[in-house]
Amino acid sequence: MTMRPDDQQMTEAAPDGVGRRQFLKVLGVTGAGAATLSGCSTDRIAKLVPYMVQSEQQVPGVPTTYASTCAECSTGCGLHVTTREARAIKLEGNPAHPVNAGSLCSRGQAGLQALYHPDRIGAPMARNAAGGFDEITWDDAIARLAAQLGTANGRVAAINGYGPSTFSTLLDDMVGALGGRSVRWEAFGREAERTANFRTWGRYELPSHDFAAADYLVSFGADFLETWGATVQQQRGFAEAHGYGNGTMAKHVYVGPRMNLTAANADEWLDVPAGTEIWVALCLARAAAMHHGSPLAAQLAAYTPEAAAERTGIPAERLAHVAEEFAAASAPLAVAGGIAAQHRGAIDLCRATNLANIAAGSIGTTVRFGDGPAAGNDYGTVQELFQSMDRGEVAVILVHEANPLYALPKSGNFAATFAKVGFKVSTANVMDETAAACDLILPNLHALERWDDRAPRPGVLGLMQPVMEPVKPGMHTGDVLLAAARAVGGPLAGFTAQSFEAHLRSAWTAEASRRGAGDAEGFWRDALQRGGVYEPAAPAPAPALSAGAADLAPGDTSFDGDGEFLFLPYPTSQYHDGRGSNKPWLLENPDPVTKITWQSWVELHPETAKRVDVREGEIVEVTSPHGTVRAQVYVYPGIRPDTVGMPLGLGHTAYGRYAADRGVNALDLLGAADGQGFLPYVATRVSLTKTRDYRQVAKTEGTPRQLGRGIIEAMPLAHAAAGMTPKESMTAAGHPPHEVNTERELEAIDGWYEAQKERWNLGNYGADETPKWGMAVDLSRCTGCSACVTACYAENNIATVGEEQVFKGREMSWMRIERYWEGGEDGEPLEARFAPVMCQHCDNAPCEPVCPVYASYHTPDGLNGQVYNRCVGTRYCSNNCPFKVRYYNWLKYNESAWPEPLNLQLNPEVTVRARGVMEKCTFCVQRIRAAQHTARLEDRPLRDGDVVTACQQACPSKAIAFGNVKDPSAEVVRWKRDPRGYTMLEATNVMPAVTYLAKVRAVDPVAHGEAPAAGEAH
Amino acid sequence: MLKRSLLGLVGMVAVAAALATGISSSDAQQPSTGPAPLSAADSAGLKGPRQPIFFRHDIHAGELQMQCQYCHYSVAVSSEPGIPSMQTCMGCHALVAGRDPANQAEIQKLKDAWAAGTPVEWVRIHNVARHVHFPHMRHIKALGDNACATCHGNVARMPQVYQVNNVNNMGFCINCHLERNVTRDCSACHF
Repeated sequence: MTMRPDDQQMTEAAPDGVGRRQFLKVLGVTGAGAATLSGCSTDRIAKLVPYMVQSEQQVPGVPTTYASTCAECSTGCGLHVTTREARAIKLEGNPAHPVNAGSLCSRGQAGLQALYHPDRIGAPMARNAAGGFDEITWDDAIARLAAQLGTANGRVAAINGYGPSTFSTLLDDMVGALGGRSVRWEAFGREAERTANFRTWGRYELPSHDFAAADYLVSFGADFLETWGATVQQQRGFAEAHGYGNGTMAKHVYVGPRMNLTAANADEWLDVPAGTEIWVALCLARAAAMHHGSPLAAQLAAYTPEAAAERTGIPAERLAHVAEEFAAASAPLAVAGGIAAQHRGAIDLCRATNLANIAAGSIGTTVRFGDGPAAGNDYGTVQELFQSMDRGEVAVILVHEANPLYALPKSGNFAATFAKVGFKVSTANVMDETAAACDLILPNLHALERWDDRAPRPGVLGLMQPVMEPVKPGMHTGDVLLAAARAVGGPLAGFTAQSFEAHLRSAWTAEASRRGAGDAEGFWRDALQRGGVYEPAAPAPAPALSAGAADLAPGDTSFDGDGEFLFLPYPTSQYHDGRGSNKPWLLENPDPVTKITWQSWVELHPETAKRVDVREGEIVEVTSPHGTVRAQVYVYPGIRPDTVGMPLGLGHTAYGRYAADRGVNALDLLGAADGQGFLPYVATRVSLTKTRDYRQVAKTEGTPRQLGRGIIEAMPLAHAAAGMTPKESMTAAGHPPHEVNTERELEAIDGWYEAQKERWNLGNYGADETPKWGMAVDLSRCTGCSACVTACYAENNIATVGEEQVFKGREMSWMRIERYWEGGEDGEPLEARFAPVMCQHCDNAPCEPVCPVYASYHTPDGLNGQVYNRCVGTRYCSNNCPFKVRYYNWLKYNESAWPEPLNLQLNPEVTVRARGVMEKCTFCVQRIRAAQHTARLEDRPLRDGDVVTACQQACPSKAIAFGNVKDPSAEVVRWKRDPRGYTMLEATNVMPAVTYLAKVRAVDPVAHGEAPAAGEAH
Repeated sequence: MLKRSLLGLVGMVAVAAALATGISSSDAQQPSTGPAPLSAADSAGLKGPRQPIFFRHDIHAGELQMQCQYCHYSVAVSSEPGIPSMQTCMGCHALVAGRDPANQAEIQKLKDAWAAGTPVEWVRIHNVARHVHFPHMRHIKALGDNACATCHGNVARMPQVYQVNNVNNMGFCINCHLERNVTRDCSACHF
């Protein structure tokens, strides 16, 4: 009998009274003579608790997947929700959904952290006399709501941030039946574009943009990879067009004062001052009109490159070149909008962009009306509602999926206006700023717990179904409203559905018959399984031009105040309009461009920083005529020297433990006045004041430049089309590679690889059939969006460590997106390069020979394995790793990262690591093993595509390929054979299993040392 | 001190062994008339942990020859073997009341739990550490008939399930893997 530590302890203690008692206690449970002790601990008895009734849909240990719809932003992507034992553990895209086609961004994936948020409200709450909240019962809450609605006498209003959907229609109808008004409002409502489209074509709506079909793409401020529009769908299209393939790629030009992620993926960035983008748009429109012989040419004659150069500061030759390229392109596309372009001249900018598209012939091809996204009411309508509230005309207001007390600038005094409403109701399920000001909170179920549908655009009707029992006892707002309607009667007597689910079913039965589907039940079941009904929208003809469409008189855009700098607040892809800031995954996922986590920051160009005499981390006060904020400086080459940038989304005063009192709210610097139906975000000038305070910037970037290490290679289009390898391209550009390894080095490593291979094959039975796993990453498709990072966190139970630990470089992300700057000095344009870096699973892994306990080893199927239970924490492996992709659990992150019920999200297939253990990317070995088990049970070999890693699955750009490199038909093998392929840090001779395909840029090749020819893009 | 406590342990084991051999229902000798009539009180003297209901595998799997997979239904498709839901038990025991008062008492406990809506909380015997991912279905596939008994022993003869092999002992796994010439790779189970 082997003596286990527990035995030892017990037998040693036996002579003591306590010891014997304990021993006898154990004896009584485990039975006489049980010398071998089961399980892990003797005094902890594990229980097996069966179901009362086993669900047919569930097999323990096997995931069940449901189709649903994401509600984290207005894009409305389709979801496949993986559940284990009736708990949702992973969100992935629905491959059948036309918007996202299987991929999902970070925000969508982080919906799980909203579902399991530790600060979710668990019961309806009513404000008490002392000003706090009391929990009440649902019956009480509904009675109170009904009482208020019944006596409001038509003075009812609703602000709804969600839709279009059956629920929002119900809400609108009910509020209308009571004689009130319902406003659908989103912070980023694209009002300027819609107004511009109305002035151009008489259509107050948004078109769809076919990014995949475009061969020349110009964006005026529109951050289509981050928050503007249907980002996942746009990113897919962008990857198709702009990703290199078949010797060609589209060219992308970004026009705006700041390099955001969208601009970082551009081949050319025209860094014009905010407000002057219109001059470039008109210049492009003129060139296209002249090229195509359009009648607009006459009206646009004045907008020459020289005129634009004068206004924007960009050399006329460059503008002329871009204009010519745009005009000559066969499928050009110009888009405008975005918060960074939402200045007082935004409507005219969008009108000018419309002219550019019209002149270039894009309308009906890359710009289509009839299947664009639905948008809500505009800021002007919301302003009217607030004015009405101010006048005391609103007795009851219901706020649903919106947070106006955060998302509207404080200078508008909306909090005071809101307080004038007699009875305020919120359906938030986390206490946000608006809910905190309400009288009654009726926590809604999360999107994963409720029935609804979602029609983000014509032709797409996504269905949303509950995939699990509610985590906290909320109630579907639809059920609440219907119950209140029954109690109120009168004008609401017509709303007779017994539940929202019944209401939804009857809406879908009507939909089925509208579509001529005979079997409504079958229609419903099909829709449930597929996640909705999808069909291509009917093609709409290009609308006719309105009179005066081309009557533009671009003037100077106005800004409040006379501060030295233009203030540019912008949304980031993680925080969005502030809704993402309460989720640790989104807070710790670094901002794709600045690599800052958990914080607000003030972006200053290096020249500005020098002039103001501040360095990174020094806190500055930013003052506008409307307010002041303080935040630390981040020196950023990607912003104009005359502009100061700050991210939106932080500075919450409520909204849960992760969001409250974190960062600053950049909206505090803005004025709230509108005059054109939208909130002008870029309409203020600011001044900077140094303080003597400092706060370290919690960024994950190390050195921002590659310093010749060849980590992320890029090449001009011509070289790629000629089939050059990255080395050949560098040689052609005047940078012949130095020798990779010297004679001595080669001598030293001779035979090493063969010896390594022999060692791996110990214990490898069936060597021929054993796969060897490899990955390829196409850097011409990767945009740096970081969806893969969140997917990895979700799949592999990676702990978020918090701001303090990020200061020390202890973030645990197994997959990180590295961003390096090229150029930006000596007159060279600034270029950003992105690459996802994960464990490279080196054939010659330097981490393997140095592990004293064989925790880091090479598996027979080509992975670098990490056996957590062997690891003793010497950290020699991480020390030796040239890529620094090994992460150590310095502290008990597993205890702090998942406060209940966040721990319900954990993937049972992956061990949760304790303190003192090293971890890293495993190529999703749990997925590999699961696929191998399935193939074995089905008596077939593994096929290409059976194993999809989490990062590969999530990527909207489809930039990652993974598979068995021994399988000649595998996609990854085709990618690895691409001449663009290279491995990182080749001189170390570690022989990674990850091949990167060099980024391709739609620029002309320039030899080293040569200044770019005048007028040539560089 | 160690020696004394070791002697003490040996002494305890001897006493326990004496108690055990006094009861004849262990797997060594099976009376030819079928499973012995036992009551819950007798279970104290049997090997294995006492369960909240004295469920007799030797009656169900032994005498009645119910397939293991009738109750442990997911063992061939999942890592988890599956434990029968209360509904599975009641599928028979709604009608089957028991052959003698001792059995009837146990079945009555089941019915009471079912009526109260509370599941029976069985004491777990076989468990592996949380850093081990053991795929049951691969082993059923590989070992075929009688796969269960390979690791769990002759459960069909156990009135009260006890641990025949310590499945949490990695040596137990590796021995079999070596004998049968299958993978010894760490990452087959540790990830």
